[in-house]
Amino acid sequence: MIFKQFRYEPLSAASYLVGCARAREAVVVDPVADLGADYYVLEAADQGLDVVGVAETHIHADFVSCARELAEMTGAPHHLGAAAEGLVRYPFSPLADGDSIRIGQIELQALATPGHTPEHTAFVVVDHARADEPWAVLTGDSLFVGDVGRPDLLVGDAQLDVMDETTRAETQFRSIREKLFTLPDHVEVFPNHYGGSTCGGVNMSGKASSTIYFEKRHNLALAQPDAAAFAAFVRETAKPFPDDYSRIKSYNLGLIGREELEGVGA
Amino acid sequence: MTPQEVREAVEAGALVLDLRPPRPFAAGHVPGAVTMQFNRADLADRAELVLPKELRLVVHAEPAPIATTAVEILRGAGYEVLGHLEGGLAAWRDGGEPVAELPLLDVDELHDHAGEYLVLDVREGFEYRHGHVAGARLLPSGEAWDRVDEVPVDRPVAVICGDQTRSAAVASMLLRAGRDARLVMGGMVDWLERGFPTEKQAVAT
Amino acid sequence: MTEIREDHVLDARGLLCPMPVVKAAKAMKELDPGQVLKILATDRGSIADMPAWAEDTGNELLEWHEDGDDLVYLVRKGDDA
Repeated sequence: MIFKQFRYEPLSAASYLVGCARAREAVVVDPVADLGADYYVLEAADQGLDVVGVAETHIHADFVSCARELAEMTGAPHHLGAAAEGLVRYPFSPLADGDSIRIGQIELQALATPGHTPEHTAFVVVDHARADEPWAVLTGDSLFVGDVGRPDLLVGDAQLDVMDETTRAETQFRSIREKLFTLPDHVEVFPNHYGGSTCGGVNMSGKASSTIYFEKRHNLALAQPDAAAFAAFVRETAKPFPDDYSRIKSYNLGLIGREELEGVGA
Repeated sequence: MTPQEVREAVEAGALVLDLRPPRPFAAGHVPGAVTMQFNRADLADRAELVLPKELRLVVHAEPAPIATTAVEILRGAGYEVLGHLEGGLAAWRDGGEPVAELPLLDVDELHDHAGEYLVLDVREGFEYRHGHVAGARLLPSGEAWDRVDEVPVDRPVAVICGDQTRSAAVASMLLRAGRDARLVMGGMVDWLERGFPTEKQAVAT
Repeated sequence: MTEIREDHVLDARGLLCPMPVVKAAKAMKELDPGQVLKILATDRGSIADMPAWAEDTGNELLEWHEDGDDLVYLVRKGDDA
């Protein structure tokens, strides 16, 4: 398996290239426009891989996504959680809970983990060349290293937000406890943000990977006794909002065009 | 460059360098194109190993950022690069231009039909001497461009290297020179993995 | 296992065959007989290449192993190499 994590430091955002060398195929997860579609295509080509899929864990609010450009450039499908239906204004390839993307011996299993956003989907990584059990999970903005995704990045439109802050927090609690934390302990956690990112709280670690075991034991937010306490903890440990999050989210939803992003920058 | 411009450049003696992976190349390419694997780390070094600097090149790579990057890398290495084929093979086909194919073989097929092929091993001498397919002739990839005429026209030639990185380049050169070339996918790595036998003695040429 | 100390490291990761061996041959020129060159590579073709090159040039491949995606070779320069 070829597994590369790209850390875009100005936004503390991590994106991924997951590929099978034998099949010469790869999927890019959560590509960042500040790096650009060209960047991912060249990184894949350096490894002898063609990009055959572009997947996003959720519709981002803190960075402009280049998933659509990358999908168009490579002819690959643009995957989002099925719950993005009716939220985004462009066509995409929906992934329901349990659906898989297969690239050679590698399987990315979609795990619906709503909370941070309604359509949020984690990707469980299985390398069948080594074992049929999960090896890693790309947790997006649901579970961070040391922290969790914030529930309050709303655009102020009930139809697009779907859940209010409290519902998001409580749903997040259940998604992590009941879905992510029921994965085997050894499974490595690879999030979409780390360190100073404002997508999570003040306890977010600068280390960009962890394990389910370690987070189960030491993630303070998840140590809370119930969903309500979790929601309160997350509120108390929140950071300032990401810059321009409403405009960035609107662009990533397909509601506004590139021109309207004028002034937004890293 | 448009397909027509590429065709005119080829007619005036330019070489199309196809940097797509081996299977798409094999399935269809600009007739006469030579293929090589793309990467940024050592494309220049590998091109210098097999292609004379005097050549005028047209790059074919997909998607577009790979083509533009490759043009820059090759120019930086001192090659004269006229441009790249815009729109790739789809544009070439849409322009009504003909497309050539390169037959592929896997090591099982090569093993089972050994007698039908002249096997050409394009690795370096020390790799060949360490163990090669019985009866294979040695033609190191760096010498292939100048020594293509030594390869017979009347028999199918199975081109092999460690995997298929170098053999794809040489197979495409042979095809360009009218030989009945076949590319062995998986190369000696697969051959050895299967447990097929190798010999160490050189074959008299 | 005794730790083999290398005198020089060549990073040939990301390079495609035959470049790892071509660069190893070049790097070896800088070493004295008896010194050890450590070569890092990612190209799977090097698994067959390195032993063949070492044998052919009178160098000694002391050991090789995989370290994640990397292949690590330790080659001692021969007296006549």
